[in-house]
Amino acid sequence: MPRILDFGAFNAVREAGMAKLVPAVPRVAIGMGTCGRGNGAEGLYHAFAQAVERSGDDLILAPVGCFGACFQEPLVSVRLPGNPLVILRKVQANDAGRLLQDIAKGNLTPDLISCKIEEWDHITGHVRYGQGYPEVPSWNEVTFFKGQKKIVLRNCGIINPDDIEEYIAVGGYQALYKVLIDANPNGVIEQIKASKLRGRGGAGYLTGNKWEFLAKAKAEPKYIICNADEGDPGAYMNRNEIESDPHSLLEGMIIGGYVMGATEGIIYVRAEYPLAVHRLNRAIEQAREYGLLGENILGRGFKFDIELVEGAGAFVCGEETALIASLEGEAGRPRPRPPFPAQKGLWGKPTNINNVETWYNIAPIVTRGPAWFTETGSAKSSGTKVFSLVGKVKNTGLVEMPLGTPLKTFIYDIGEGAVGGRQVKAVQTGGPSGGCIPQDMFDTAVDYENLAQLGSIMGSGGMVVMDEDNCMVDVARYFIEFTHSESCGKCIPCRVGLNKCLRILNRVTEGAGTAHHLEILDELSRYIRDCSLCGLGQTAPNPVLTTLRHFRNEFEDHILAHRCTAGVCEELALSPCENSCPLHMNIPRFLQLYKENRLEDAFLSVILDNPLPSSTGRVCQHPCDSRCRRQTLDQAVNMREVHRFIADSIFSSDKYESMIRQITARKLEPTGRKIAVVGAGPAGLTAAFYLSMLGHEVTVYDSKSEAGGMLRFALPEYRLPKSILRREIELIERLGVKFSFNTRVGVDLPLNDLDDHFDMIFLSIGTWKESWVYQSGTELKGVYPALNFLDAIASGQEINLGKRVAVIGGGNAAIDSARTSLRKGCEVTVFYRRERKDMPAIEEETRAAKDEGAKFVFLAAPHRVIGDAKGNVKAIEIVKTRLGEYDASGRRKPIATDEIQRFDCDSVIFAIGETVDLDFCRASGLALKESGTIDVNRFTLETSRARFYAGGDLVTGASNVSNAMAYGKQAARSIDLQLMEADRWQSLYPQFDYEQTPPEEPSPNRRHTGQALAAAVRVRSQDEVVAGLNHEEALDETCRCLRCDVGAANVS
Amino acid sequence: MKKVKVATVWLDGCSGCHMSLLDMDAAIISLGRKIDLVYGPLVDAQEFPEDVDVTLVEGAVSSQDDLNKVQKIRQRTNILISLGDCAVTGNVPAMRNSIPVQKLLQRIYVDGADEKKGVPSERVPALLKQARPLREFVKVDICLPGCPPPSKTIVGVINDLLDGKKPNGNLKVKFG
Amino acid sequence: MPQKKISIRIDGELISALEGQTILQAAKANGKYIPTLCDLDGLTSVGACRICLVEVSGSERLFPACTTPIQEGMSVTTNSPKLTRYRRISVELLLIERNHVCAVCVSNGHCELQTMASALGIGTVGLAYNFPKLSIDMSHPRFVLDHNRCILCTRCVRVCAELEGAHMWELTSRGIHARIVSEMNEQWGKATSCTSCGKCVHACPTGALAEKGWAVEEMVKKIDAVTSLVHRRGAQV
Repeated sequence: MPRILDFGAFNAVREAGMAKLVPAVPRVAIGMGTCGRGNGAEGLYHAFAQAVERSGDDLILAPVGCFGACFQEPLVSVRLPGNPLVILRKVQANDAGRLLQDIAKGNLTPDLISCKIEEWDHITGHVRYGQGYPEVPSWNEVTFFKGQKKIVLRNCGIINPDDIEEYIAVGGYQALYKVLIDANPNGVIEQIKASKLRGRGGAGYLTGNKWEFLAKAKAEPKYIICNADEGDPGAYMNRNEIESDPHSLLEGMIIGGYVMGATEGIIYVRAEYPLAVHRLNRAIEQAREYGLLGENILGRGFKFDIELVEGAGAFVCGEETALIASLEGEAGRPRPRPPFPAQKGLWGKPTNINNVETWYNIAPIVTRGPAWFTETGSAKSSGTKVFSLVGKVKNTGLVEMPLGTPLKTFIYDIGEGAVGGRQVKAVQTGGPSGGCIPQDMFDTAVDYENLAQLGSIMGSGGMVVMDEDNCMVDVARYFIEFTHSESCGKCIPCRVGLNKCLRILNRVTEGAGTAHHLEILDELSRYIRDCSLCGLGQTAPNPVLTTLRHFRNEFEDHILAHRCTAGVCEELALSPCENSCPLHMNIPRFLQLYKENRLEDAFLSVILDNPLPSSTGRVCQHPCDSRCRRQTLDQAVNMREVHRFIADSIFSSDKYESMIRQITARKLEPTGRKIAVVGAGPAGLTAAFYLSMLGHEVTVYDSKSEAGGMLRFALPEYRLPKSILRREIELIERLGVKFSFNTRVGVDLPLNDLDDHFDMIFLSIGTWKESWVYQSGTELKGVYPALNFLDAIASGQEINLGKRVAVIGGGNAAIDSARTSLRKGCEVTVFYRRERKDMPAIEEETRAAKDEGAKFVFLAAPHRVIGDAKGNVKAIEIVKTRLGEYDASGRRKPIATDEIQRFDCDSVIFAIGETVDLDFCRASGLALKESGTIDVNRFTLETSRARFYAGGDLVTGASNVSNAMAYGKQAARSIDLQLMEADRWQSLYPQFDYEQTPPEEPSPNRRHTGQALAAAVRVRSQDEVVAGLNHEEALDETCRCLRCDVGAANVS
Repeated sequence: MKKVKVATVWLDGCSGCHMSLLDMDAAIISLGRKIDLVYGPLVDAQEFPEDVDVTLVEGAVSSQDDLNKVQKIRQRTNILISLGDCAVTGNVPAMRNSIPVQKLLQRIYVDGADEKKGVPSERVPALLKQARPLREFVKVDICLPGCPPPSKTIVGVINDLLDGKKPNGNLKVKFG
Repeated sequence: MPQKKISIRIDGELISALEGQTILQAAKANGKYIPTLCDLDGLTSVGACRICLVEVSGSERLFPACTTPIQEGMSVTTNSPKLTRYRRISVELLLIERNHVCAVCVSNGHCELQTMASALGIGTVGLAYNFPKLSIDMSHPRFVLDHNRCILCTRCVRVCAELEGAHMWELTSRGIHARIVSEMNEQWGKATSCTSCGKCVHACPTGALAEKGWAVEEMVKKIDAVTSLVHRRGAQV
């Protein structure tokens, strides 16, 4: 190919390129970036090439870069003449044959289609691929791409990066041509300045100003450098840009060279990016061949060449002065600025350094003008930015969004939130020296200033999403470990300071941290930030500072409670299941004991961890399931059902008496100390059990006539038979716990009396009030708060609901009310203001209600209840809602619309949330939280009044059984420690000896679940719906456990 | 006037700090009127007494015995002073810290011994992995660096304490 | 061409200095003290120790006095609670990084690190010591390199390259593992480029580089000999 010296030659190349890009024959393009190759794109390409050779079909097969949707690799785009470009996803080598057959027939392969592109704005040019396929969504209608604006990535995944002609076809090098013809370098600089383009390497300095410095510098030669030393873990924007569209980089640099008066450009790229290096070399070669580099560029007399230098992979070489040192053949260590590179850079000459992505914005600005560019983005940060969205989100990949887009758009809209029903906890922006931004700040619009304000940085555009399984202390530790090992060692703060931070963070994650460590960490981090020589050190402490600021709780958990809630720090958690259990039951232990056919030991293990094992075995929310590592093979071990089975086996057998004797024998010597427990619900019963085991005299007060609290008076018989609960309470009674019923503390029995008669007092009254929002009609006969309704039924009262019942709400109380109503023969409709997936109720319960015939209406909130002349409910009006923005819970907020619907009904049950009896809290004289609940020390559960402790719903607001019991357990331990001034907890437990090696062959079977009665049968009775496992099933479940609790030391 | 109870303790150090303490010349007379030396290598007491006002600790914490001692001392002392570089920084005793204890003992008691080769194990406290400064184990109120700290400085600090002044403020300090 | 004079304020006092001077040079020329550990008159400034950081009014940031050029009207604060706190942390970090056992050091009493610690009133260090295992190079017939006492100020590297022209010293490895090496990571005694001039030894602020044959406290560095050499040669860096 002769060098392009005039416009005619340029146009000829352009047409040649267009003929390849939009040919008259089918074109199949394979996404062959590193991401595509990692997912088998090379094999795929060969499969296509072979198939085409065999069939002799007339079609063009081309490699392209990546279109950004990394989670759907390998991507393939197919275009049939005259039709839109269609993007196919997750195409495998064995799909090649049928794809080509379909293409030969002029068809698409429907199961692989992701989206279509009818026309594409390459910014520097516009290409129409064709119209059609109405059934296929357009690319920007697909969730992952919705709202993306591709300026930097304008050609990525569409053109062949190895073919300069295709680049020229989409308008490439036109901007350069224009600049050379206009011969007005200052005009270009003015344009860049007016565009307010800011350096995309992270610091965000105005590119135009930087260019002006160099242009004005009077020295020969001058250098321009492209910084392609992308070293952030989890960030690969630059790699993809170069791999997919290398010529855009060259064009930006040649324009820069011309307007700044430089004759030499250098691209400093990581040696770890072999494909990018290869494609760049190829592109430089081609550019030279076509007369776009070298002497007399495009026949306009300008001389410029570009050299590629491979960096050896030191992170610090991304810092511009270190990069220059590295280019000069020295070790990559930063130098003090001033002098700035624009004054004294490479070889002491004026030098301009810009990030890859900055250079990609040049041609678009020159072509479309600064006014067009500033239309996108926010006032101070114009244009777009490419982010690599990775971590715990469903959709991962490269996302190019206008600057100023809120974080939640990235995480919930494009990324579609966390995987597996977990909650997103934080996002870390800007690579290893960025900060962690908590979920409640996801409203933040992403631009340089906003991120800086939150203690983070834009960096090069990494965006790592974290969920509940990420320990924020470990996250900080991980990033400090990275920056610490990448520190060049020159200045003290970065070299020694980071090392010290790392040592301290290591101690904290090992459980050896102290409160003083947190102060040191904070001070050291500020010192390193303020005193370090270069950007690496100045930003390195960001992960520590932000996690200390936003996730201090987690640090305190590690230090004070010796617990890593996420279960990441090995020394601070036994196993994922134990760690997720609010009661921290040693689950692997009872599974293994039962596996070893030691039912009584297994029961002892269970009951000493959880005094209500039969009840919780039925109604616990089982957080253990979502953390079980067996899920990675098939499904979680059914741990809840196994402990229910173990407990049921003892409670309903003749072993009950002997077990009671065994447990009573484990009681510690009487201490003579008296403790009052207020509230006989799960929290109170648990505290009473342990305190009694520890040798104290315990008296439990309750306003009801029986013990059990919510378990007794809110849970319907079909979920938890009263006989089971009674057995468990009997055990606690026989340990010596005294009960005093029908006593309302604060009314019948003042707190001061308790203070006089007891050594310690534990308050655990439950959530006995239904949240009540007055609405028109709620005063009518036939309107019930769910709790009162369930209580009345559990107490044996007769309630006439009529024929049709409306239940309002989406929690467990709503479902319990619905299923209870169904059992009274009613027709039930549940109205919930959000969508099914947002319901807080246990999923199995909702499904069971549906099977039993309950109808569900989602996106519906109560408007008013309508009554008849006698004051009885006649109907309910609901207002339809639509889902708006994401709120702090990571769910979309329901917003009322104008649409009102009417449902005829005879009763309405409101289950819109329970609340604590705030009157009690206020009257107690104890310090309260903002929410009105009682304020306690998170670790000791002490209230503001000496010797008074509180826990359960009284502290948290409405929660669930296991959480409440966890408070009871914690309170008992804390009270005992305070009373006896010694940690006697472990002496409650016998030494259990059991197998300490993981099973060589875990049971291959899938999860066993208890048999449920047929919906048609159970809905007519109060019988327990779900039967427990049988012995064989329970045993098999124990054999499914992988024994994550066994430490590495025991595994050979 | 009630005399102030002072104790001195000698851990892993050369006793040079105690020598410096004794080097106070005539100052000992006036000081002797105000303090009771209740424990230390200079007096006879076997058990560290309760309710000591001031304790000066010389030496790094080097063995399990040292550690037990300083924990007890901390409980029974009002003001605890790290006396000299060994107690403040680890100093010379800490020069063994990069060598594993077993290797160290082997080198000294086996390879380096001419007769009776063998690491002593009975009636000698086990060495800790490293000899470390006092404040890494217990809270220290005042640090007096120096090898040894000058006699005048030690006496000055004690006198300041007797006068109820806080000595930390304008203390002239120097390691080594 | 005579250099232009400009006025700046240091700790409130108006002084006149030459354009092109750094804050540190201007301060020294006017008898103002700014503490530093890595700077040595006559050698290129590297801004490594961060002890000379000062505040400049109008900016939130801290500036190293050794590399920041003065500007007309600049107002510099060389001492503030924050600066003192940070300087103390820097020195404390140096003290815990390696094994600075003053009691048995040849430079005891003549060491810039020791003096700096005393000047900052450091009587104890709030952080745990690292106690790393480091080597001592005794291979040179006249000199010793003890990594235990090195603070990586790189004065030896610079004096060797800029004054002696031998380029014998270099800094190797990253982060906490960084250390000084002679020639191509050979033993000093085997380094062919070493002229044994001893400038590095006398430029060294601590006992890391020392002459053989001296006992504790006996190694007195002739730092003035090094700097006066610069001035007599008229070397301007």
